[in-house]
Amino acid sequence: MKHLPKHIRPRWRYLAVGIESTPDAEIDRGAFQRELWYAAGNLLGDPGSADADLTVYSFSFDEGRGEAIIRVRRGETDPARAAVACLSEVGGEPVGVVVRGVSGTVRACEESYLGRRTGDFEQRQVVFADAQRAAFSREDALEVSVPAGFVSATELDFE
Amino acid sequence: MTEFYEAVTAYPDGTSTVSRYAKTACSYGYDGLVVRTRQSEYDPQAIDDTYGVDVVSGIEIDAETPDSIAGSVGNFREECTLLLVRGGTNGRNRYAVETDRIDVLTQPMANGGDFNHVLARAAKTHGVRVEFDFGPVLRQTGGNRVQALRDLRKLRELIEYYETPYVVSASASTHLWLRAPRELIAVGEQIGFSATQIKEGLAEWGRLAERNRRRANESFIEPGVKQGKYDSR
Repeated sequence: MKHLPKHIRPRWRYLAVGIESTPDAEIDRGAFQRELWYAAGNLLGDPGSADADLTVYSFSFDEGRGEAIIRVRRGETDPARAAVACLSEVGGEPVGVVVRGVSGTVRACEESYLGRRTGDFEQRQVVFADAQRAAFSREDALEVSVPAGFVSATELDFE
Repeated sequence: MTEFYEAVTAYPDGTSTVSRYAKTACSYGYDGLVVRTRQSEYDPQAIDDTYGVDVVSGIEIDAETPDSIAGSVGNFREECTLLLVRGGTNGRNRYAVETDRIDVLTQPMANGGDFNHVLARAAKTHGVRVEFDFGPVLRQTGGNRVQALRDLRKLRELIEYYETPYVVSASASTHLWLRAPRELIAVGEQIGFSATQIKEGLAEWGRLAERNRRRANESFIEPGVKQGKYDSR
């Protein structure tokens, strides 16, 4: 179909979202998009989530950390932010999400808020809760493997 | 500017240590953290130096009956800055709001607990803060969430009418479930709170901690009276 004249096209805002999860979580764009739409549908209802749009534009996730750009209709950023905050699990893994910022173009969004990915995990052995345990470390954060899963700690806990 | 605080369940009850919460809280724009877990081990000074987050030691008492809560209050009051009591039954809610030594009544509506005008008034008289628990709103779905929302609304209406002091928390048990203040404000606005209410609720943790620290100070005698040099202000 012929595209709309410029003055009548919808105006968008782009949310830069930081994602964090457990070290062995595997989250792909489809799963993230599905959970986001569920979250929006449940919180805002069908009309509200249709207004907000919430299409995942770019998505990357690797080794427990990721980023996404979410497209939102202009003027709907607050409901969208609320829907994003209600994402608590993707594919059964707990996720932490935070809106790092909002931009008017994808490019500005990437340049201002994304691309902060830092290094890969480093495998280590640490003494935690009176036992030698395997841990994944990155910067000053550590994910210590315990029988029940992972405990998240930082270097400060091992000084 | 208001300083935002959040109250969290840390390792061993939760799955993140206090310092990890502090790292996340610092990047989300919080100024402080209240630790609900008694057995947690941490060094508040080191955390403050590294992440600039003020860590407040708290204890959340989760006991069955008012008698056992009373025992725990006696045991732990001196040990911590903030004393929290988990509500959820009529007996526990009633005991908590009528005890001056308790700072916060948490999750008053959980597990079918209820709140009414008598408790709202008593909480105001005794200066006990009532917690709005956003945990179920953020992390549950379906009927449970509907009930949680209905309970939050009832609690909010009572608290607005009787001007009861309150706090707001996402009650995280892992650092992944922390949410930034702006996100909590956005969620609050969707479910009928005003932005100011959420901000005040987050800031109230900090004000309470500040008040209790001042009271625990040796120069404190009673409100308005302290030992020290004459201060002309």
